[in-house]
Amino acid sequence: MAQAVFNPSGRAASRTQTPSYGVWGLRLIALSYLVIFIAIPLFVVNVQGLRFGWDAFWRSISRTEAANAIILSVYTSAFMAVVNTVIGTLTAYVLVRYRFPGKGIFNTLVDLPFAVPTLVTGVMLVILYGPQTIIGSFLQNELGIRVLFNTPGVIIALLFVGYPFVIRTVQPVLLNMEVYQTEAAQTIGASAWTTFWRVIFPVLRPAIATGALLSFARSMGEFGSVIVVAGGRAVTGTMYIYTRVEGGDMQAASGVSMVLLLIAFGVTIAVDLLQWRRNHA
Amino acid sequence: MSIQLERVNKSYGVQPVVRDFSLEIETGELFVLLGASGSGKSTLLRMIAGLTEVDSGRILLNDQDVTHLPPQKRGTGFVFQNYSLFRHMTVAQNIGFGLSIRRTRRQVHVQRVQELLELIGLPDYGDRYPSQLSGGQQQRVALARALAYQPSVLLLDEPFGALDVKIRVQLRQNLREIHKRLGLTAILVTHDQEEAFDIADRIGIIEQGELLEVGTPSELYRRPQNLFTATFLGSTNILRARRNGKSVYVGDVSIPAPPETDHLTGQPVEVLFRPEEVELSTVRPAAQTSVIGSGTVENIAFAGPILRLSVRLASGETIQALLTPGEFRERGIEPGQEVWVSLKDYHLLPTNTAAEKTPVAVTETN
Amino acid sequence: MREIKPRTFGAWLLIGIALIYATVLFILPMIAIVQGAFANGIEPLLETLSEPSVIHAFQVTFVLSLGAVLINALLGLTTAWVLVRHRFRGRKLFDALVDIPFVFSPVIAGYAMIVLFGRDGWLAPPIFPIVFALPGILLAKTFVSLPFVTREVQPVLDSLTPEPEEAAYTIGASRWTTFRRVILPEIWTALLYGIVLTFARAVGEFGAVSVVGGNIEGYTETATSFVFRAMNDRNNVGAYGVSVLLGVFSVLILIIMNLLRRRMTQGVRDVDSA
Repeated sequence: MAQAVFNPSGRAASRTQTPSYGVWGLRLIALSYLVIFIAIPLFVVNVQGLRFGWDAFWRSISRTEAANAIILSVYTSAFMAVVNTVIGTLTAYVLVRYRFPGKGIFNTLVDLPFAVPTLVTGVMLVILYGPQTIIGSFLQNELGIRVLFNTPGVIIALLFVGYPFVIRTVQPVLLNMEVYQTEAAQTIGASAWTTFWRVIFPVLRPAIATGALLSFARSMGEFGSVIVVAGGRAVTGTMYIYTRVEGGDMQAASGVSMVLLLIAFGVTIAVDLLQWRRNHA
Repeated sequence: MSIQLERVNKSYGVQPVVRDFSLEIETGELFVLLGASGSGKSTLLRMIAGLTEVDSGRILLNDQDVTHLPPQKRGTGFVFQNYSLFRHMTVAQNIGFGLSIRRTRRQVHVQRVQELLELIGLPDYGDRYPSQLSGGQQQRVALARALAYQPSVLLLDEPFGALDVKIRVQLRQNLREIHKRLGLTAILVTHDQEEAFDIADRIGIIEQGELLEVGTPSELYRRPQNLFTATFLGSTNILRARRNGKSVYVGDVSIPAPPETDHLTGQPVEVLFRPEEVELSTVRPAAQTSVIGSGTVENIAFAGPILRLSVRLASGETIQALLTPGEFRERGIEPGQEVWVSLKDYHLLPTNTAAEKTPVAVTETN
Repeated sequence: MREIKPRTFGAWLLIGIALIYATVLFILPMIAIVQGAFANGIEPLLETLSEPSVIHAFQVTFVLSLGAVLINALLGLTTAWVLVRHRFRGRKLFDALVDIPFVFSPVIAGYAMIVLFGRDGWLAPPIFPIVFALPGILLAKTFVSLPFVTREVQPVLDSLTPEPEEAAYTIGASRWTTFRRVILPEIWTALLYGIVLTFARAVGEFGAVSVVGGNIEGYTETATSFVFRAMNDRNNVGAYGVSVLLGVFSVLILIIMNLLRRRMTQGVRDVDSA
């Protein structure tokens, strides 16, 4: 998975000569590309959100449905991020540290959520947890848990979609870790758990945090899987926006869009700060 | 054909890196630019190649002003210190790159690559990749690649700096042979004084961006015109003295003044003499002409084929002397012994010649 | 960290947890959908898949995704180059822009496009419609898959030492020749990897495509939109069938990604052994 923040070494830039017209030509292309495809949509959403004034904006997001949708998005994404942190770190460790049958296939499978269309994910979950299947009926009838059209369904979908994030940010750090540190800890007499917790984990912390925050941001914007799995009582922020746009209520759509964007941005900036601090520590 | 630099200047921000640098290099010469790290030598070489821009001044190759030409158009061959081979191409493809972009006919191309492989002593390595070669082999390929399209000027930026000592010596000898055979004009940049002495036709000493002195290795070693040069190249003993008439007065003792230093009459001078030019004996020498006094042997250090002795003179200064084990045994010198010190060869410099530090009696720069 | 054979109970426990979690999360749903697709047998499945609307949906999906790939490959490569090689004010800001599609909900992106290009939109196009038409879908796919090429190429580009390039210049190669023969071979694996990710993302996109395209059957309906509609119409075989097809496509993508990733890390090892 690609890095979230890029910090170039500057080596290449300072030594290569560039003739003026070529430089500006390339630069113009790249920057226009970014402006057209990204800066403008960003701009549009924010302007639309505030177009009708602060009052209208505030009213649009404090409406019960809207507020609940935003809260559900935040809550489920956060829950997913926490679970992912634990499982993701564990899985990354297992993938780096141990040799076991099927490891290669497993490592490849980790990227599955990047390759599978989110809608297909939703469909798979609907089939698996629907009341007509073994698992679905078991959960519903025996445990009284309704997965579909309910919060648990959303969470499971987000768990699927966010699975690779922590793993892929932690793996490279673990791979690059020098063996001496763990070996030194072992000769001193530390148990495996102590070694992990006090020698390895502190080094992983920034990567874990980055992965968790990225998966959080990703889940806040997740749509394809939740639209199939949720509905009824569980409506996420993105679903709410979708229904508003389909219904033509642009004000409501833009209000919630802005809030979701702001939250996602806040998270991305936190990620950048973390990485910046790591590189300048 | 030649290389001319006219008052070349380069600064990075407020920091000048090359200052008012002027130099002429003869056709077919192997010129070595010798300087410490950060002296600006690499920057200068890169400016000749066109990889770094000149702030002011001119660079002429074969009487053509190339100062503002891009590197592609200058017709130079450049050998970097390392990592310059194209990793994804074979040795043969690397060497032939210059021919391939000049659309050389296939037969000529193949033949030339083979010639070069033989020239560098790797005739069967054409199909290997750089990652399969040792550092020394990679540098040989880099050299062949730079020579393939027959440039008029060859530029080498510390080409052996990343290699082991034995390989370094071998490769620089190979370079000298190749250079002689092809009759190129070449500039090699290095901080390794031994390397410079080994292969250079002439050496230029560069320090803090300035060209201090230019001369043959022998000239620079035996008759440096600059205190920095004297101390940079090997070990030197320096004593304060005064020159009057035909003599140089070191303290109370006088020794004959070298005739070429007549212009320094009446001035305070530095007497420079190399440790190997010091004569020590336990008996007072019959010919008194170059005796500068007596002293005590303070320390004797074993340095392989020679012995290094520190001798403390009566005047208080300590000088270094070199003796072969034979001489040492013959004269029966021991630590703490009183010896007579005389000089076989020495050189004078006026006292205020570009001395950055206060003169010391002994400097060991190796 | 060195790889070892798991010897303790604790080690196997960890491995077990990781595998079981992954199985429940991935394998079970995959089995379920394959079962669902073949529930009525192969014949009805193949029939559904050869319906004209399905075929058209796939055409729209793949052709437009390829278009998005083309745009993002060329422009993404340019952007990576500019961000690595050039120094200018605001570079960090532009660099941050590249990440936006990772966190920008596709639905919001679709919405923004409607505001811009809709009938009463700010930049409503005079000649051909963008919203509820194929150009809109192309834009949507391009947006969501934008960062991959740039982000994959950037680190590799940055890790290149200047010497081979400078050597090429002194040998007489033009900047374009040097790019083509010295730089591109070094980055093509990362570039390809980015392209594969881009393609997968574009094909799998639903939210933005749905909002902008309008899911008009036979016209702007993509493969994913088809699945959505099929689910709502209780066309299980259709929904599951197309899903499985898309799933197979995903697995192929995964395999290619894995091959490329192994090739990328291999290259690094070669250099170190010199």
